[in-house]
Amino acid sequence: MEKNTILKIENLHVNINDREILKGLNLEIKPGEIHALMGTNGAGKSTLVKTLSAHYDCIVTEGKITYKNKDLLELDVSQRANEGIFMSFQSPIEVAGVNNSYFLKTAMNAKRTYTGLPEIDAMEFLKLVKEETGKFNIDRKLLQRDLNDGFSGGEKKRNELIQLLMLQPDLIMLDEIDSGLDVDAIKTVANVINSMLDGKKSILMITHYDRLLELIKPDFVHILNDGKIAKTGDYSLALELDEKGYEAIGIKDANK
Amino acid sequence: MQINNIQGLILPKKSDEEFLKVNFDSLFAHDFSNIEVYEFDIMGLETIIDEENYESILFDITRSVDNKQKIITINKNIAEPIFLIHKLKENETFYTNSLKIKVAKDIKASVVEVFVNSCTNSFYGVNRKIELEENSSLEYVKIQDINASNSMIFSLCVEQKDSSNLEISNFEYGNGFIINSFENIINAQNTNYELNALVKLFGDSTTSNLVKTIHNEKSSISNINYKHSLKDSSKAVFKAKSIVNETALYSKAFQHCNTILLSDDATIFAQPHLEIYIDELEASHGTTTGTLNKEQLLYLQSRGISKEESYEMLLSAFENKIVDNIKDELIKEFIKTYKRDKYV
Repeated sequence: MEKNTILKIENLHVNINDREILKGLNLEIKPGEIHALMGTNGAGKSTLVKTLSAHYDCIVTEGKITYKNKDLLELDVSQRANEGIFMSFQSPIEVAGVNNSYFLKTAMNAKRTYTGLPEIDAMEFLKLVKEETGKFNIDRKLLQRDLNDGFSGGEKKRNELIQLLMLQPDLIMLDEIDSGLDVDAIKTVANVINSMLDGKKSILMITHYDRLLELIKPDFVHILNDGKIAKTGDYSLALELDEKGYEAIGIKDANK
Repeated sequence: MQINNIQGLILPKKSDEEFLKVNFDSLFAHDFSNIEVYEFDIMGLETIIDEENYESILFDITRSVDNKQKIITINKNIAEPIFLIHKLKENETFYTNSLKIKVAKDIKASVVEVFVNSCTNSFYGVNRKIELEENSSLEYVKIQDINASNSMIFSLCVEQKDSSNLEISNFEYGNGFIINSFENIINAQNTNYELNALVKLFGDSTTSNLVKTIHNEKSSISNINYKHSLKDSSKAVFKAKSIVNETALYSKAFQHCNTILLSDDATIFAQPHLEIYIDELEASHGTTTGTLNKEQLLYLQSRGISKEESYEMLLSAFENKIVDNIKDELIKEFIKTYKRDKYV
């Protein structure tokens, strides 16, 4: 693995419920790069990000994933998160009875302990939250409620952004974070993501929506088809796809 | 002295539907060295002979060795709860304690009872009668923390007058052999009866809750809500029967029982049961049994929280729903900070 590679996926095969979804996928992401993952439904986009975050559904049958020079497959879910991998859930899970603020402070302190930093207390936590959310006009009242419990679709996505801002991960994976959001909310997502780009943080985002790509310009666009990356290009590939559709660029839609 | 040998005492039989899943054999056959009445550290309590006709025959076990009953009458509003702490210390002892709690008309009160022990092979027979006068309100909270090799039978009978309110929160923490019996025959209108319980078991403990509620009058509410979190090879029994008779129009009768099994060997026997003789009412019953939600566990872990801590967070969330029902903030804090070590 090259020194300046944050993530390297080699010949990745993944099964869900004994059905092979990823069939020999290769991908390399360097620090600071933005990669967009596109593809028809069922192509394996979500499976890839779920595999990277150690989702229990995904069984790796073959291949290798190296993250920050470590064998990622040896790390469990929380270790991966503490190493800087953040997956924004397509449908964030509701957890009634767990206060959102308590959850976030626990998560921050878990990461701080993992990296050898002292834990932050409630006052420091509130100060940090106020600072970070204030920059983007994100409503802090979400933190007073239970984690995602009874949140609207937009509130859930905003809550993911708060977590993102507070946890400051190195590899940000966004699984259709734009789905169900209005134009203003998409702008907020883009503002948050763009503000975090410091040349070191990398992004892997799944989207069907050209609008998000206009706001967060990818360095690479990958088209996933039948469990493999079928085509890679720059932002112009996304534009071409938007204009012509999958079949015109030589991708067979298995759903048709 | 063996409970089996008490003259004239009719004991629950295995074949009785109510006690089908409760095995009393080792308790009733145990030979206790002493019999002792557990006395409250309160001067001047009135004492009566308990001649009440109870639905449950469990009351008779305690009454067969001690038929006296103390009475606490609350006839003025008290800002702070009354705390009654029971600490059993003697080994091989059959303890008894019988108390009537009376709340006068228009009065609001709260009572907390804590049951702990530092002895072995003892048994505690506890009889309780709660009498609520018109428009009175009682928040009654019980912590049972009787541990291994000890047993307890707690029998409670409720009598409510019109527009009275009773909210019971029952916390079962001990790993002994425990039977709780709650009976409320509602012969008054516009009463509210809530029975919330958290049964948190571990080791080889067995805790059974037998709940019987009968609605005989109009427009009263009963709401039975149990949560079990069961570890190791613990076993819980939940049997609730609510009867709504023809005379009890516009009643509301609810029963819910949720269980989280935290080991392959933990067991729950849950049987909610409604018997309804009218159409003009609201009623529901249900029971769920499962383990912690794996999607929720994954979500917490995906933000860096270890599996163990995520597990504890979810379990606390489940359990805290019962604590959150408590109205009195002082009692809520007491429950949240309760530690057995403070009392034994």
